Amino acid sequence: MPGAGIEPFYFGTDKKLLYGCYHAPQSRAPRDCGVVLCYPMAQEYIRSHRTYRQLSYHLSKFGFPVLRFDFYGCGDSEGNCDEGRIPQWLADVGSAIYEIKERHGSIKICLVGLRLGGTLAMMVAAERGDIDGIVLWDPVPSGTAYIEELATLHQERARHSLGKATHGTITESPTEILGFPLTGLMRADLQKIEVFSIRKKPANDILIIGSGEEAIQGRLKDHLKRLSARVECQHLPSPKIWIEKNKTVVPNEILKAVVSWISRVYP
Amino acid sequence: MREEALLFGKTKSLVGIITDPPDAKRSHGVPGIILLDAGIIHRVGPNRIHVKIARALAPMGFVVLRFDFSGIGDSKVRDDNLPFEESAVRETQEAMDYLSATRAIDRFHLLGISSGAIVSYKTAGRDPRVIGATLINPASYGDELRSYAKARRYWKNALSDPKRWAKALTGRANYQLIGPRLRTVFSSRRKALSVANHIAADFQSLIERRVDLRLVYSKGDLGLDCLDVILGNELRELSKRGTLKLEIIPQADHTCTLLESQQRLLTLVQNSALAMAHG
Repeated sequence: MPGAGIEPFYFGTDKKLLYGCYHAPQSRAPRDCGVVLCYPMAQEYIRSHRTYRQLSYHLSKFGFPVLRFDFYGCGDSEGNCDEGRIPQWLADVGSAIYEIKERHGSIKICLVGLRLGGTLAMMVAAERGDIDGIVLWDPVPSGTAYIEELATLHQERARHSLGKATHGTITESPTEILGFPLTGLMRADLQKIEVFSIRKKPANDILIIGSGEEAIQGRLKDHLKRLSARVECQHLPSPKIWIEKNKTVVPNEILKAVVSWISRVYP
Repeated sequence: MREEALLFGKTKSLVGIITDPPDAKRSHGVPGIILLDAGIIHRVGPNRIHVKIARALAPMGFVVLRFDFSGIGDSKVRDDNLPFEESAVRETQEAMDYLSATRAIDRFHLLGISSGAIVSYKTAGRDPRVIGATLINPASYGDELRSYAKARRYWKNALSDPKRWAKALTGRANYQLIGPRLRTVFSSRRKALSVANHIAADFQSLIERRVDLRLVYSKGDLGLDCLDVILGNELRELSKRGTLKLEIIPQADHTCTLLESQQRLLTLVQNSALAMAHG
């Protein structure tokens, strides 16, 4: 039953405590691999929360210890919304990995992330060199394009449901996007993100899940293969849960694919 | 300020976050504040506004608990057959029990946005420990009342719009659209008014119990139309007497998406808290 066997807690350093939700393995034969889930940012975090909870539940049922956590300045973690920075979030992924290893010893680690969460997982893994597997679910390939995409969504939402309320707030460099601030520092951080410039192999095994445009997933697969990773690409057309109109959807086909791949790679 | 993640409730399966004031700031005379989930959004609230509210009120001396109803956010799905309307009220009572047991608080102020506002006033009606409630854009009073309020708004706007009159008088109006909308008003009126009367009676009994009722609406929100159906002319009178406080946030949507509207909401809540702190 969703929610069973979970432990909500805070971890990290005293000044930057992060909220985590630990799902203990539910099967009799726990696996030798811990799964850390990395959320996307801002409104996409809120819209993906239900799906992440379900994914954690399914993975724990298959014997995996799972930790999902909120980045600094996001969700229940310490910090204000305007204090989020990419270098901090990369360090937060490291803290979460440390935390799950503290509980389970020297186990393998698989990172899973949707959208920016996937991109951050890949960046951390490439830097560390000790991550075994990654699931990249519709990762954000370019920070600059991501900002443009969010700004367009914000404008569309503003036009349709906020009406005149947005007068004067929409500019080419928006300072807020869909209910969350976009600071100059965060914008600069995001603009530096470019997955095709990653030059180190992030992990031995990588699953790319694309629910939309296949071309980007294919290009990413080629790039990661050139870095000597074993890459599997699955195209699973599905509602984009990070979009307002799909916010209540839990894409079960994708969840099944993620659980099945991780179970296969880490039997 | 200190935050603690916890599991509570009869089956220890409800997940919540308590924000405690610094020890020196803890005010023992003020009610505990409980923030209730808005729809299926988990306890951080729409646009993370619950976190902002909790962290703004704790330094003022309030203990704030925000938690997930069963089946929402991180809380476990219930294993009985209780409908949400009932389980949400019971779980809010369990949240009060928890704060009573761990923080020695016996009076509470509930705050909820949208469906959370509905649970707030329903719990207030059932539990005398609730001495106040802030209802932000309550609108989910049931389909009949909502459709009636919506159709009523359409006709109010249409009848005061010279352009629409001109269209109607020159035969350019879309009569195929007008017919069903007109029918909605008449067909749903009786049922909608019956629902509205029940809610008005609930409000009345809360007012008689001197529950501190604070209603906050985004300008143009459908909830305001519902409120007009529920209380009608009585609203102005209650508001004038101060027994019910009504605040309108300009330039805001249902969940206060724009940062400016979030700030306005936060300021309103802080001002209410100041008033509570001073009795």
